[in-house]
Amino acid sequence: MIAVEGVVKRFGTQTVLDGVSLTVAPGEVVTILGSSGSGKSTLIRCINGLERLDGGRITVDGLDVANPRQLAQARRLSATVFQLFNLYPHMTVLRNVTLAPEVVLKRPEPEVAAEARALLASVGLADKADAYPAQLSGGQRQRVGICRALAMNPRYLLLDEVTSALDPEMTAEVLAILGRLASQGTTMLFVTHEVEFARRISTRIVFLDQGRLIVDLPTADFFDPARGLAHPRINQFLSKMTPVGERP
Amino acid sequence: MRHTGFTVHDGLLLAQGLGVSLGLFAGTFALGLVLGSAAAVVRHFRVPALGAALHAGLELLRNSPVLVQLFLVFFGIPALIHQPLTPVVAAGVTLSANTAAFVYFIAVAGLDAVGRDQVEAARVYGFSRAQLVRHILAPQAAAFALGPLVGLAVNQLQVTSLVSVIGVMDLTKAGDILNLRTLRPFAVWTMVGALYFAAAKGLTLLGHHWERRLRAHAPPLGF
Ligand SMILES: Nc1ncnc2c1ncn2[C@@H]1O[C@H](COP(=O)(O)OP(=O)(O)OP(=O)(O)O)[C@@H](O)[C@H]1O
Ligand SMILES: [Mg+2]
Repeated sequence: MIAVEGVVKRFGTQTVLDGVSLTVAPGEVVTILGSSGSGKSTLIRCINGLERLDGGRITVDGLDVANPRQLAQARRLSATVFQLFNLYPHMTVLRNVTLAPEVVLKRPEPEVAAEARALLASVGLADKADAYPAQLSGGQRQRVGICRALAMNPRYLLLDEVTSALDPEMTAEVLAILGRLASQGTTMLFVTHEVEFARRISTRIVFLDQGRLIVDLPTADFFDPARGLAHPRINQFLSKMTPVGERP
Repeated sequence: MRHTGFTVHDGLLLAQGLGVSLGLFAGTFALGLVLGSAAAVVRHFRVPALGAALHAGLELLRNSPVLVQLFLVFFGIPALIHQPLTPVVAAGVTLSANTAAFVYFIAVAGLDAVGRDQVEAARVYGFSRAQLVRHILAPQAAAFALGPLVGLAVNQLQVTSLVSVIGVMDLTKAGDILNLRTLRPFAVWTMVGALYFAAAKGLTLLGHHWERRLRAHAPPLGF
C-alpha cells in the first residue's frame, strides 16, 4: 500500500502541499484531479522521492521514502510514467526498456530482453525496438515510457498527466493501453485531466485544491451531485473540464 | 673544431625528443582526463566541501600560466618537502594537474548538458549514482565533450614544450641542443616546428576520425 500521511511540501514561502493524506491499496486505480498548480505533480514527485518532504510521512509497503535506504527499495516497487516521457535519448527503445531491470534489478539480459520485446509488441511497437526516441512520435514515445515502467514489474504505477503532451489521436492510443492495464488489475495512481477516462477506470477519485486534498471518494460518489459534485470547487472544475453534454 | 653539419645522430636526437614529448603528453593527458572527469562528477553531485574545494583549486590552475605552475612544482615543492623532484616527475605532475583543470570545465559543461528529466527518470527507476554516471551521464557528456577535448589535446601537446626549461629532454630541448651545436637556428627550429605540427595534425585527424565515427553511430539526439 502507498500511504501518504499529512504531507507538507513548501517551495520557499509557498506551501504547495498542505497536510495531504491518501492511500492507494493494491488493485486500486486512484485518480488525482485538480486544477493547474494545485500540487498534483508535486505529490507524485514526493511519492517517488524526487522531492524532500517538509512534513508528514510517505510509505510504500511500509518503506519510508524519507529514508535513503528504504527509498531505494521503495523505488523498486513503483514505476513512474512521465508527462514528457523522459526517455534516455542515447539508447534504443529496447535498451530504454531493459536498462533498469538489468542494472537495478540485476535480472539476466536475455530474459529481460525477451520480456521487453513482448511488452513492446503488446503496445504495437514490435518494429520500433531498435529505433531511438527521437525517431518516434509522441504517442509512440509514451508507449515506450509505459513499457519501461511495466518492465520493472511494479506493484504500483505512478502516472503524471501522461497524455497531456499528446494530440487527441495519440492520447486515445495511450489511454487504450492504460484502460487495458486497469482492467487487468494494475494498481495505479493517476494524475490526469481526462475526466471521462478517469471516471471509467478509477476505483477512487481525489481532488486537490491549492495543496489541500478536499475530497476522496469512490468514483460513483465523486460524480454524485449530492456528494462530490456538491462541492463548489469540484463542480466549477468539472464544468470547465467536461463537455456539457456529458455531464451528469 | 666544431661539427656544424647535421648527422644521423641529430635525427635520432630529434626522434628521441619527439618520443619524450609524445609520451609526456599521452601520460599527462590520460591522467588529467581521469582526474578532471572525476572532479566534475564530484562537482555534479554537489558533494559538500570537496566539490567547492576542487572547483577553487582547478580554477586557480586554469587561470595561471603553466610555466609558473611548472616552476612552483619543480622549485617550490622540493623546498617544502626537502626532497628534490626529477624534472620528468615535476613535468608530469604539473601537466597532469593543468590538463585536469581544463578537462574539469569541459566535463562540467558536458554533464550539465544532459537533460534533467532523464536523470530524474533514472533516479526514480532506482539507479545508484554510480549507475547513473555510467549509463546515463557519462555516454552523453562524453559525446558533448569530444570536440572540445580534441581541441584541448592539441593545445596540451604544444604546452609540453615548456618542460624543456626545467631540463626535460623533450623535442624542444633536443632542438635547443642541436641549435647550440650547429648554430643554424632557422633550419633547426623549422624542423622542430614541423615535427610539432605533424604530431598536432595527426592528433587532430585522429580526433576528427573519432568524432565522425561517434556521430555515424550516434543516436539521433534532440527533440
Ligand atoms: N521546483 C519548484 N520550485 C518552486 N515552485 C514549484 C516547483 N515545482 C512546483 N512548484 C510550484 O508548486 C505549485 C504546484 O505545482 P505542481 O506542478 O505540483 O502543480 P500541478 O497540480 O501538477 O499543475 P499542472 O496541472 O499544471 O501540472 C505551483 O504553484 C508551482 O509553481
Ligand atoms: Mg503537473
